[in-house]
Amino acid sequence: MGEPLKAAIKDFILKEFLPGEDPANLTDDLPLVTTGILDSIATLKLVLHLEEKYGITLEAHEADKEHLDTLDRITFLVSSKMK
Amino acid sequence: MSRILPSIAAPPQDPGYKASIKLTEFLLVMVQLGLVVLLFRQFQIESAAFIRLSVLAFAGFAIHAWLPLRYRLPFFAALSLAGIGLVMGLQNGVWLAGIAGILIGICHLPVVFNVRVALLVLVGGVLIAQRGALLPAPWSQAIWPILGSMFMFRLLVYLYDLRHEQTSGTWSQKLAYFFMLPNACFPLFPVVDYKTFRTNYYDDDAYRTYQVGVDWMVRGVIHLLLYRVFYYHLSLAPHEVEQPSQLMQYLVANFMLYLRVSGLFHLVVGMLHLFGFRLPETHNRYLLASSFTDFWRRINIYWKDFMQKLFYYPAVFKLRKLGTTNALVIATLYVFIMTWFLHAYQWFWLRGTMLLVWQDVLFWAILGVLVVFNSLYEIKHGRKRTLGKEERTWRDVVKLVLKTYATFWFITVLWSFWTSETLSDWFSLWAALGGPYDAKFLLFPLLVLVVIAIGSIPRASIRNVRATQQSQVDWMRQRAVTIIALVALIGIGVEGVSTKFGPEVATFVHSLRSGQLSRLDTAKLERGYYENLLSVDRFNSQLWEVYSKKPANWLDVDNANLKRFVPGFQRTELIPSYVFNSRYGPISINRFGMRDRDYPDTPAANTYRAVVLGASSVMGWGVGDGQTFEQILEDRLNREHAGAPFERYEFMNMAVPGYEPPQQLLPFDRALALQPSAVYYVATGREIRRAVRYLANATRDGLEIPFGPLREMVAASGVKREMDETTAMRTLSSSGPSFLLYIYQDIVEKARNRGIVPVWIFLPQVRQGQWTEETPQIVEIAQTAGFVVINMEDLYAGKDIASLRLAEWDDHPNVYGHQLTAERLFKELMARRAEVFDAVRR
Repeated sequence: MGEPLKAAIKDFILKEFLPGEDPANLTDDLPLVTTGILDSIATLKLVLHLEEKYGITLEAHEADKEHLDTLDRITFLVSSKMK
Repeated sequence: MSRILPSIAAPPQDPGYKASIKLTEFLLVMVQLGLVVLLFRQFQIESAAFIRLSVLAFAGFAIHAWLPLRYRLPFFAALSLAGIGLVMGLQNGVWLAGIAGILIGICHLPVVFNVRVALLVLVGGVLIAQRGALLPAPWSQAIWPILGSMFMFRLLVYLYDLRHEQTSGTWSQKLAYFFMLPNACFPLFPVVDYKTFRTNYYDDDAYRTYQVGVDWMVRGVIHLLLYRVFYYHLSLAPHEVEQPSQLMQYLVANFMLYLRVSGLFHLVVGMLHLFGFRLPETHNRYLLASSFTDFWRRINIYWKDFMQKLFYYPAVFKLRKLGTTNALVIATLYVFIMTWFLHAYQWFWLRGTMLLVWQDVLFWAILGVLVVFNSLYEIKHGRKRTLGKEERTWRDVVKLVLKTYATFWFITVLWSFWTSETLSDWFSLWAALGGPYDAKFLLFPLLVLVVIAIGSIPRASIRNVRATQQSQVDWMRQRAVTIIALVALIGIGVEGVSTKFGPEVATFVHSLRSGQLSRLDTAKLERGYYENLLSVDRFNSQLWEVYSKKPANWLDVDNANLKRFVPGFQRTELIPSYVFNSRYGPISINRFGMRDRDYPDTPAANTYRAVVLGASSVMGWGVGDGQTFEQILEDRLNREHAGAPFERYEFMNMAVPGYEPPQQLLPFDRALALQPSAVYYVATGREIRRAVRYLANATRDGLEIPFGPLREMVAASGVKREMDETTAMRTLSSSGPSFLLYIYQDIVEKARNRGIVPVWIFLPQVRQGQWTEETPQIVEIAQTAGFVVINMEDLYAGKDIASLRLAEWDDHPNVYGHQLTAERLFKELMARRAEVFDAVRR
């Protein structure tokens, strides 16, 4: 489940926040929060998307670098919530 | 409470491998750190205490870098505690550590979380009462700003993480977090996030982390030197803004004072990198913000993150049921309200007083509303982001430059509003737009445009990635920039180099090599003895830091109640036959209302009687009876020179604290009845500005000027009673030299007509600085007026200022200062005896 989930999240991020970007540049461990790709507004959009699409609930303290900074971490967060 | 996730913290690499450094790399970093210390010393970066702390930090780094990883954090915590002891002294350090221990200990009591919070609020309440001087505190006042900066925000972050995390970290992590080494020197400290502090620890190649630390410290020095250029050379007081070009200069220079904060934060975070804390950048080229949200994201990023974590996200998540847009709007406004409140809260811990001024409230309200509108726009239209070098057409670049340019000017105007002392000050600025427009008007707008255009050239936009994720080209370019900047700055700082470019360049470079107060702040410090200056440039000034060390119960000269109000132009006088026991010794005022011993109404035969006019430094605030320079001088003359040529010498101290030049005319008129042989007018600098300020305020207060010609000169200038102080000063300022000349001439004329010798003495302030800019002009005015001029402007040259003054926040000369003055004045009088003694008609 990990890889398809990651690919779907990656697609969303590329489409929503990085239109026109080469998908190869968005690596699994590229920091998204600390580099400013995911600012507060983008983070909210992402959270709403994840909650809606995967039926999970995220908490305010999870909207941070530890949980959302990279594709790997986002995928881990979502998959652990879906269990 | 939410479901707790398994820890996702550390990246998968082996931290032991990442934390090691090769000998060659270590030596390379050490050489650069040696140069950084040299740079700190050469430009006197911040304070002597900071330079000592830096040496401790860099020496600590040399050991830390070679320790096994598990020992490094405890070592850093111990080094941080040692740093506190080094900067604050052992006793203060122990008190601070003790209070800190109680606060951290409460966070970990084995009781439910809410009880721990309640206990912290209780202890916080006691500390607030102590900080506000409502309860006594057994420790030194010097502890408060540092204690406040360590706990006022970090404790909130810590509690938040404690509530939401599985583990709170080791004790070494906790101590390292609260006592962070550079904090001992900086009351204004970035709000470091506890989770980031832990998770970013050695999460990248050690050498590269250290090297980024060096880069950022060098960048910090560059910010601080640029700040000094604006602070010393380009800052203007509102009343000095008369033309559109000066308004542009005022706006830009005022905003650029923020460079001090960004410079200090770079130094702080750079130093933390040396110990493996790969913290993100604190500022991101904030001059290049192209919108208000962009500005909020770029300036003081740690504050933005702190507000986001503790207030924004919790509010948005709670309010989601109202709809995303509504939640976002309410949460954003909430963040700005809290930002205002927390700035006032910060001010309280650092200064001990509450800060409630309209400029603060309005500034955050306006910025909040602007950010809300910008956010709504971004939700609708998105924001362009890129993972690499952005490709822009010329049209894109021009559009970006224009947006950035507009944002810059809007922010500078808003900033000028925020930092203005009063609302009327700010409104009066805009009258300058009615002045003449010349080529100079374009200077700052063009300069800003050039900086923004250069900054807008597309470059790799990805920031805060690990150094190992950067391209080798970028990495090497950064190395080159750091080395070149280090060598260039050290080279410029060498006197032999800067003098090769001519005296003007050498003088300019010299001015950047010290961290003194600017002429405007020195004037404010003096005004602070007599007025409760709330603003003191709230968040961007060196003066603010001086005030932060001032004890809440410190007695200024104006609060000693030595004076009483009198009707008319003179306003105040010393209370006759009154004794006040100050911390410096008794201050006795005789029956004439002079801070002096008693004298007969008329002098005995063959007595040299001099009346001495001046302000608080002459009156002797800061020394006990018998220790004022005029009394030391009088005693010495009587001891060593009785009979040569006078039998007796009397120096009657008529100085009154806070007296300005126009006020001196009245006591002098009174003094004539005492039949003096001489009048000694003691000037201590900025006579013209002081005269102008006094006349402006007298006009506003409707006081009639009792000297006809002076009254007419003031009326002719066009000043009106209804003008605010800034406008009135601006209106009067061009006539300032004429006012002073009149005052001096009036004294000289009345004196000469009665055979009294008029002597004018220039007594410098203990603090060196740009306040001396008026000195040549006032010396010339005194000479023109006909005074015997004794210029002692080099009196304190080469002396340690701390040995001369009462305290860092009170520049009145102490006992040693008065002794030096008396000794020098004695020599001057002996050298000029023909003019000052023999010329007296007997």
